[in-house]
Amino acid sequence: MTDTSWTRDADTLLEPRTNRLKFVVGGILIAAALVFLIVNGMSGNTQLYKTVDEYYAEQSRLAGRDLRVAGMVLGESIKFTQIDATHSRLEFEIVDDLENPGQRLRVVAMNEPLPDLLQHEAQALVEGRMGDDGAFHANEGGLFLKCPTRYEEAKPPAAAASGGASHPAKGSTQ
Amino acid sequence: MLADLGFAALLIAFFASIYAAVVAFWGSRRSDERLVESARNALVVIFPLMLLASAALITLLLQSDFSVAYVYEVSSTEMPTYLKVTALWGGQAGGLLFWNLILAAFTAAAMLRKWHDERELMPYALIVASFTQIFFLGLVTFYENPFARADFVALEGQGLNPLLRHPGMIIHPPMLYLGFTGFTVPYTFAMAALIAGKLDIGWIRTTRRWTLVAWLFLSLGLILGGRWAYDVLGWGGYWAWDPVENASLMPWLAGTAFLHSVMIQEKRNMFKVWTIVLVILTYLLVIYGTFIVRSGVISSVHAFAQSEVGQPFFIFLALMTLFSVYWVLRRRDELGSQNHLQSLTSREAAFLLNNFVFMGILFATFWGTNYPILSELVVGERVTVGPPFYNQVNGPLFLVLLLLMGVAPLTMWYRTSLQRLGRAILGPAAAALAFVVALFALGIDNWAALVGMWVVAFSFVLTLLEFWKGTRARVKRGEGPWQAFSRLMARSRRRYGGYWIHLGVLIMAFGIIGSYFFQQETQIRLNRGESVTLGAYEMAFNGIRQYAGADDLLIREANLALYRDGEFLRELGPRTELYTRTGQPMTIPGVRSSIADDFYVIMVNWETVTNDAATFRLYVNPLINWVWLGGLIFIFGTLIAAWPEAAEAKATTATRTRRRTVVQPV
Repeated sequence: MTDTSWTRDADTLLEPRTNRLKFVVGGILIAAALVFLIVNGMSGNTQLYKTVDEYYAEQSRLAGRDLRVAGMVLGESIKFTQIDATHSRLEFEIVDDLENPGQRLRVVAMNEPLPDLLQHEAQALVEGRMGDDGAFHANEGGLFLKCPTRYEEAKPPAAAASGGASHPAKGSTQ
Repeated sequence: MLADLGFAALLIAFFASIYAAVVAFWGSRRSDERLVESARNALVVIFPLMLLASAALITLLLQSDFSVAYVYEVSSTEMPTYLKVTALWGGQAGGLLFWNLILAAFTAAAMLRKWHDERELMPYALIVASFTQIFFLGLVTFYENPFARADFVALEGQGLNPLLRHPGMIIHPPMLYLGFTGFTVPYTFAMAALIAGKLDIGWIRTTRRWTLVAWLFLSLGLILGGRWAYDVLGWGGYWAWDPVENASLMPWLAGTAFLHSVMIQEKRNMFKVWTIVLVILTYLLVIYGTFIVRSGVISSVHAFAQSEVGQPFFIFLALMTLFSVYWVLRRRDELGSQNHLQSLTSREAAFLLNNFVFMGILFATFWGTNYPILSELVVGERVTVGPPFYNQVNGPLFLVLLLLMGVAPLTMWYRTSLQRLGRAILGPAAAALAFVVALFALGIDNWAALVGMWVVAFSFVLTLLEFWKGTRARVKRGEGPWQAFSRLMARSRRRYGGYWIHLGVLIMAFGIIGSYFFQQETQIRLNRGESVTLGAYEMAFNGIRQYAGADDLLIREANLALYRDGEFLRELGPRTELYTRTGQPMTIPGVRSSIADDFYVIMVNWETVTNDAATFRLYVNPLINWVWLGGLIFIFGTLIAAWPEAAEAKATTATRTRRRTVVQPV
């Protein structure tokens, strides 16, 4: 649709054929450059996106691969340890559904600040890979959190389930 | 009682919007002005109804009436008054009500203002405008009712999420909403022009300023969102290519392409189809962006809950796409243009290339954002694409745009002689090269950054030269330099407003390149009295202070001393504020800003008993303040471009008066 306005009636005196060819070639070159950039940008920058239970179901296939796993945080499992001056270790467990927890995935993030939103019921997105210790190791800057958003079911005793608005967590790179 | 009143206002408004659509359609069929006018009144009355509903909700928030579920979710008794008011858009349902309020305001203003100028378009504009209004009113009335009762009794509400208690976050949603809903006006008139078959420049004239205003707000929303992320989220960045960010960037990209394409249609009567497709695309991306954010369909860092609104959004989006495409196809013959591109070095061709590149960035962003959905459809697995993808694809494309920004104003309509063009760019190219060589001599050896800096400097010089040339021409005619400069702005506001915008973008690009390529960070634990070095900075830790803040806040604030090259600069106090009632902590960075860089530090963890050791994460973000400075210049330029030109304003008034005299019965 983009070119209808200038290719129609192309044979008018003002627009010789060679000229139109130039624009077609130019357009193709731009499109080719875009395709190249996208294909090139995709390689090495994609991750499979799994839930905790999906991960365990396909564990053998996914072992060692760079993944993104989503789950809900179990509040009592959060642990922040300062190992030495320059190393810290943040650990917590995630499940698919707090009411009906299936498998638990232990997440380890090294040298990552303790995010404000890392709380019971929070939804965590972790980019990383499974380590030999059976824990899922987050990449640097690969930990993202959503605040608990199931406010529709929230009852007064529920933890700080706030109003469904949107919050990125810290832990992103760039 | 108040809740019932608010809901009643929503319900009446919903039926008024349906009435408007039906009666406007009927009126257009029977060419009955009275029916059309009745439809307009119905559409206009939605605005006071939305004001009433919003006032009811704000009153409920101020009264802390927790029998209303929404008030319970986003408010609490100890919140300061301004936060209770702004909690109107702190959550899903209230946000939708607020969205409707702004949409109704825009619609009412557009319908009241343009009544006389575009009489033939009005019935169709009314129909199209009511479609959008029906949908959003239907959502807030039947799916996400902010006046719904809580099915429990609560004495205290949950309170607005602490992360949203920031000036940037209070202004950012209304700006985005204003930008998003503002684009419904050009869409409405474009569709009306299509349906009426009246495809001259009229609808563009009618909506030009609306488009600029909508675009201004959308830009402001994007910039403020970035600033909020930088100030509040504590990761030292401002843009993460998150789906929700992309959702507001995509309409901006299409809208910006539209603003450029319009100029060629006005000057050369070309690209008619293209222009109309762009305005449709912008509108659909607005709806799509709202859909992404509200439905949580693409699991995002900050998506709303998986809510029930996903399906109706999807259906509405599909219907509006079909509706728009149908009318474009039906009018395709009238959309052809008599003029054609003649030369690759013409200004038309430069604009076309600009549009292609914008579409390229839009496509790449759309592709990346939707890849999880696409991949699930095709291979059955959700695959996500990370920020490096966007940086690698969009980075070079944005660079081409920056280059065009400098070169395109030198081109002529029809064709430009290459020799002339070459002469004009030689000096600036050399100056930019000298700048880059100087950067290299200072030790910057990242080639991508150097290429970026060259382009920025090159286009910056060229844009400044445009101001210089215009002013000099006036000075030669005997005006004083300042008078010449200010008259230049006043006489061609769109052109020089545009150049100001370009300068703003180039300055932002300077800051983005600096902070993206040269950010430094480290994380370290310090005992009281110890210090750490990052870049040219040294930071000493002198202990932690603990004290009670406003409301239920418990604050732990580190006492840091910052030095640069051995010289004391200032103290910094990064802190953690704990909302003791909800247990929600909030990390507030300590920042020392300068034109060269930001030193940005957050307190990650601390020794709770003795308060004499803590872990810090430190960032040095070079040139980041240029991003905000460029943003201000950008906004300034948009204001210049959108301001009514003196001559034009007079002309419009004159036409109106004349018309009125003609219409008056003798």
